[in-house]
Amino acid sequence: MAPTFVDVGLSHKQAPIAVRERLAVPKDELPARLDALRSIAGVREAMLVSTCNRIEIFAVAEGANAGAELAASLGPLASPHAVVRNGDEAVRHLFRVAASLDSMVIGEAQILGQVKEAAALAKSTGAAGPLLDRALSRAVAAARRVRTETAIGRGAVSLSSVAVELARKVLGDLAGRTALLIGAGEMATLAARELQGAGVRELLVANRSMAHAAELARQIGGVAVSLQDLPALLERADVAVTSTGSIEPVVTRAMMAQAVKARRFRPVFLIDLAVPRNVEPSANEVENVYVYDLDDLERVAAQNRDLRGGELGRAEAIVEEELRTFLAAQRERSGVPVLARLRQRAQSIAEGEVERALATLGPLSDRQAKSVRAMAAAIVNKLLHAPTQRLRDEAGGPLGTAAAELFDLREDDGARERAG
Amino acid sequence: MSLLVHLALIGYAAAAAVFSVWLIRPRAALPLVGRVLLLAGLCAHLGSLAGAWHGRQVLSLLVAATVAGYLALDWLYRLPVAGAFVAPIVVAAMVPAHLISSAAHPAGARSAALTVHVVSSTLGTAALALAFGLALVYLGGERQLKGKHPGRLSARLPSLDAIDRIGWKLVAWGFVLLSAAIATGRLVSPFALGPKQGFALAAWALLALLVQARLVAGWRGRRAALLVVGGFALLAGSLVALLASRGVAPAGGA
Repeated sequence: MAPTFVDVGLSHKQAPIAVRERLAVPKDELPARLDALRSIAGVREAMLVSTCNRIEIFAVAEGANAGAELAASLGPLASPHAVVRNGDEAVRHLFRVAASLDSMVIGEAQILGQVKEAAALAKSTGAAGPLLDRALSRAVAAARRVRTETAIGRGAVSLSSVAVELARKVLGDLAGRTALLIGAGEMATLAARELQGAGVRELLVANRSMAHAAELARQIGGVAVSLQDLPALLERADVAVTSTGSIEPVVTRAMMAQAVKARRFRPVFLIDLAVPRNVEPSANEVENVYVYDLDDLERVAAQNRDLRGGELGRAEAIVEEELRTFLAAQRERSGVPVLARLRQRAQSIAEGEVERALATLGPLSDRQAKSVRAMAAAIVNKLLHAPTQRLRDEAGGPLGTAAAELFDLREDDGARERAG
Repeated sequence: MSLLVHLALIGYAAAAAVFSVWLIRPRAALPLVGRVLLLAGLCAHLGSLAGAWHGRQVLSLLVAATVAGYLALDWLYRLPVAGAFVAPIVVAAMVPAHLISSAAHPAGARSAALTVHVVSSTLGTAALALAFGLALVYLGGERQLKGKHPGRLSARLPSLDAIDRIGWKLVAWGFVLLSAAIATGRLVSPFALGPKQGFALAAWALLALLVQARLVAGWRGRRAALLVVGGFALLAGSLVALLASRGVAPAGGA
């Protein structure tokens, strides 16, 4: 069976954050996971995209069980939620993911960078090969077209901006307020910029590494503070954004209950951008404490999608167009070997028969022998003219497979015949 | 009820309908239409009171004060969503306000103490009626934001913090005015102690608790809104007792 594209994964659409946070693969574990994927029978190429909102394996595999085995590699927790896509559907999904059409906030730019990063890692570790590489190049091109030719990215609100808007619903004008960033990663930086834009007076940056906290504080004009002072910091902060890589909650319900009391019940808005979550979900039950995690923000962001329905349609059309181009090229590429093998087989048979006939006919002049060879070649050409045309027209389609079956064409035919 | 009262009632009811429609279909022009209708209703209402004022129109005056208070708040803070809560309360209060009979007046009805009592209790209750409307708005908005489903209501609301602060100002003024009303009430009828006085005292005690808790411990948000709702409910009980004590019959003339 010819290798085909397979996608196995789950996103915010299939699994709640409580599941996703347990499936997320830390960066330092990605190379080992890619090795494990490659060791699955039938898997030729693989890449793994693990973000806060999704975990996806894009692979090139052969064999009917490859999809199921890739799904099993995500573990039993993922089984009820994981979706397996094969062939064109898998490629379509890759294109849609890269173009941010499958994102929590449609049109957000972050996902393209994450896909490219995952592809680069897969390539550097040897997990990705030419097929995935070609698909990714086209997917990235499609995503760029979507960004430049539609306004989908322009109206797109990042999760950070959704969160800041919600904070305004609770706290009102953020000018003069104090914000606390817990974690100094990319998400924290984005959130910090949003908060600055909203007029926050004081930005405190707390991180496990003081050096990272100081660096981010320097970039955004904030103040680096020690994570050890978290309870006191929570008393000061009107808005807190968490985005650490901690697998245990950093902010607990008890901490928030104490902080709110110390704040004389002034409201606090907590934005939890981390997966696994950094804020104990039950902290939302504390009076005047509002906790929004990624799933909650998605619900709010979803309201924006309808507004951009027209742009979404145009973006989908671009992705489909790029997908068709890619699949056609791919089919032509995969169809050519069948054609080549068919012609090689026919020519090999014709040449064998011509030599046998020439031996039987006895000595012929060079001109006569040349005529016989030309006649045999003409018969092959005329016989194969229509099939060649059809196979080219429907490259990669079922005809190629049928021809390969009908004429018993195997991929190693060329090598076998060359050796023979 | 006079023609002007009828016109006022129609204006208030139409405003209530317009504000309610705006909650469902947020057309930009609707809040303005609601404000104009309320203002028109208020003008007709004040006209009716000025034309034939007599002491038993206290409840009607209270309604007018509530509407005027809301329009002032809306002018200051842009609170059309509160209109959707205040306007129906106003409509509901208008009917009994104009059905009070001319029952006996307390002794010394024309005294300065009575004037202060009437004015302070009217303005205080109006302030608390508005605080009650805002408390309902706050509780609805808070429920949506806490439940992670900010919907139509919260989309049209000012921030919860702003609603809380405006509500607190109203409660503080309402408490001061109600204190004055209770103090002068003792002067107007020193020995009266019935359901009306009982409800009023209970409402005052609850508001005193809220004011104390806010100043000392910083109570705000949901628990403050619930106390306001409770306080206003007791005050409404006091008004019902007032109506019951005077009997409900067409007052006429107003």
